[in-house]
This record gives sequence, structure tokens and C-alpha cells, in this order.
Amino acid sequence: MATTEQQHELSGNHATGKLGFSLDVPFPSSREALIALRSLSPDKEPRKGGISKEITVKDNTLSVRWSADEARILRVSVNSFMDHLLLVLETMEMFSLPVSQ
Amino acid sequence: MTIVIGFEGSANKIGVGIIKDGEVLSNPRRTYITPPGQGFMPSDTARHHRAVILTILKEALDEAGLKPQDIDCVAYTKGPGMGAPLVTVALVARTVAQLWDKPLLGVNHCIGHIEMGRLITKAHNPTVLYVSGGNTQVIAYSERRYRIFGETIDIAVGNCLDRFARVIKISNDPSPGYNIEQMAKKGTQYVELPYTVKGMDVSFSGILSYIEETLFSMLVEITERAMAHCGSQEVLIVGGVGCNLRLQEMMGVMCEERGAKLFSTDERFCIDNGAMIAQAGWEMFRSGQVTELEDSWITQRFRTDEVEVTWRA
Repeated sequence: MATTEQQHELSGNHATGKLGFSLDVPFPSSREALIALRSLSPDKEPRKGGISKEITVKDNTLSVRWSADEARILRVSVNSFMDHLLLVLETMEMFSLPVSQ
Repeated sequence: MTIVIGFEGSANKIGVGIIKDGEVLSNPRRTYITPPGQGFMPSDTARHHRAVILTILKEALDEAGLKPQDIDCVAYTKGPGMGAPLVTVALVARTVAQLWDKPLLGVNHCIGHIEMGRLITKAHNPTVLYVSGGNTQVIAYSERRYRIFGETIDIAVGNCLDRFARVIKISNDPSPGYNIEQMAKKGTQYVELPYTVKGMDVSFSGILSYIEETLFSMLVEITERAMAHCGSQEVLIVGGVGCNLRLQEMMGVMCEERGAKLFSTDERFCIDNGAMIAQAGWEMFRSGQVTELEDSWITQRFRTDEVEVTWRA
């Protein structure tokens, strides 16, 4: 199934003072990347301020970009997203329909 | 023929159920039970659901003898409830809906209870008492809405019972309410406590050290008032607290005095379960409703009367 090589960087943006974090997840096909996108994007961040994220898909890759005011808030959001991503991946692994020849 | 799979996990129960045209094909469920004296917190509950949901999903399909291709629609609880557990369940529902290429339906949890109650009991147009750990409402159907006639002005009756059980460290297995009921059966001394009914509404936060008699009498009174207003001759009790036989008994006495009929379901369906979400989803789907993925976000607050009941006249 999907190999999750995750490239991520933690950077500080001195101009705005915000923390940035990016995550790229490759999928075997763009169909699966889009399924993950549409499962993971509808729910709003539980915390109202101090954090925002953008999820996009290009070809087979799902990309997420975070912008946060504080490291602690960033960690909570990223951890939560990883749990959700893993659940979606596991669901895809167990319940994908067999590919017809 | 319409087959709907329903996912429910808004509180500490996680269930997946499959309904085919009014027949419950499967309805497996697990409960997150905390030690005596402790309630359940959102992140721990979500973790519990996360660990078992895929297993229960497979169980539901296997017990029903179905393959994903046989499903026509995927229903899930949009709200109300606890945020983290709601998200966990919604993620799986959204993913399988896309994997299997089936329409998605976000269901109001309270309406799930009502539609299951109507299906199982065949009550025609009852005044509904919805009582659980998270909700206490008296509901009557009118012109495409489940109207909230009366409700708690503070905490749900089940919440009151659960908190009382925590204080005196009653076991949470299988549920605190069940254990209170068993102990109350052996009680001999009645203690008079604050009885708080305000018109159509009730208040429970002032009476945490109480006996079932008082709480349930309050609920019977407001249900009777709603019946009088609507000219209704049927009562349907839904929600986890609806399992309580003493509540059913007391409501039964009031109904008999009025020549009305009382309906209730057993613990399979009063307590949160996946099939009730599937049933409400079945009604919604057959009347033409569908939830687009972008609109499928979960919500902790979701009032019963926000939903347009397109499937009833």
C-alpha cells in the first residue's frame, strides 16, 4: 500500500513570527491521494486561533502546510493530523476494492 | 432494495450497523468503559474508537454476509457529540464512501435514535422522550421538523446519573446507569429532593445526590404536558436512559391514565448503535438527501430541529 516517506521541515519565519511546517505524503496513485485529501479536509481545526493548515494534492502526492503562532499548538495539530492520516491509510489498506483486470 | 451502512461513535460507544429496507442485518458495538469514579474524556475515547473501528466494520459486513459492493449508501454521525471521537468515525466513513464509490450521508444522532425507535416499535406519530448521557429532550414531529418541545436547561438526565455514580464510585461496567438501576431496585427509603420543572423544561444540576423517582417523575410530567399540547396518544422513549425499566414503568402509568400507548426499544437499540444511524440514513437517502464531502464536517452542536425531515409528510 502507500509508503509514507514523509519529508518535513520546521522553519521559523522571522518576518511574520510564525512557525511553518510542511509534510509530503506520496501515494501509489493520484486517485488515492485525492481520496485521502477529501477525507482529511472537511473538519475544521478544533482550536480557533493560532493555527491554520492547507492540504493540497499534486499528482500522487498529498501535501500539508501548517502555519502556527506557537510550537506547542503546532505539535498538537501535526500529531492529530498524523493520527488521522494513519487511520485513513489503514482504512484504505483494509477496505479498498480489488482492482478488476 | 436499499442497503445502508451506519457509523456511530459520538460518545463512548462505537458501533457500525447495516440496514436493508427496515431489517437490521448486523449491529456490532463496543463500549469504552472507564474505572469507577472516572468519566470518559474525548481524546481517550477517540483513541478507543480508533483501535476498534476497522475491526467492527469488518464484523458488520461479515455478520450481514455482504461485500462493500452491496452497500448503497454510507451514513455516519455528523453530530452532536464529542469532537475527537466524531472525527475518528467520520474519517473512516468518508474514506470507505470514496473507496466503494457510494454516496455519503451525515446524520443527526438524535434523529438516528428517533428513526430507530419508530422502525422497531412501529409507533405512528409519537411524542418522543429522548433521554441519554448527552441529551434530554421532549420532541414532537410537525411539518418537516422534529420540534423540541422541552429540554434540560442544564445537564442531561443521564449525565446527572453518571456523575452521581462517579461520586459514590459505582462501576461503569456495563454502564453506570444500569448499575444505579439495579441498586435502586433494592432501595426502601425514599428521600425527598428538589423537583425542578419549569413549564416544558427541566433542570438536573441541583440534584446530584438523588433517587431515580424524582428525576423520572420530572420527565414524565414534561412528556405528559407535551402530549396534552399535541393531542398525542403515543409516547416513544429513546436514548440510553430509555433502557431503564423504572422510567418505562412510571411513563406506562401516566400513559394508561390517559389511554395512551407507550413504546420503547431494548438495550440493543436504546443505547447508541450503528444501525440507528443507518436507519436515519436510509430514510434520508430514499427521500433524496446526500452529503457532499466538503460539507461532511462534524459538529459538536447539532440541534434536532435543524434537520429538514424530508421523509415524513
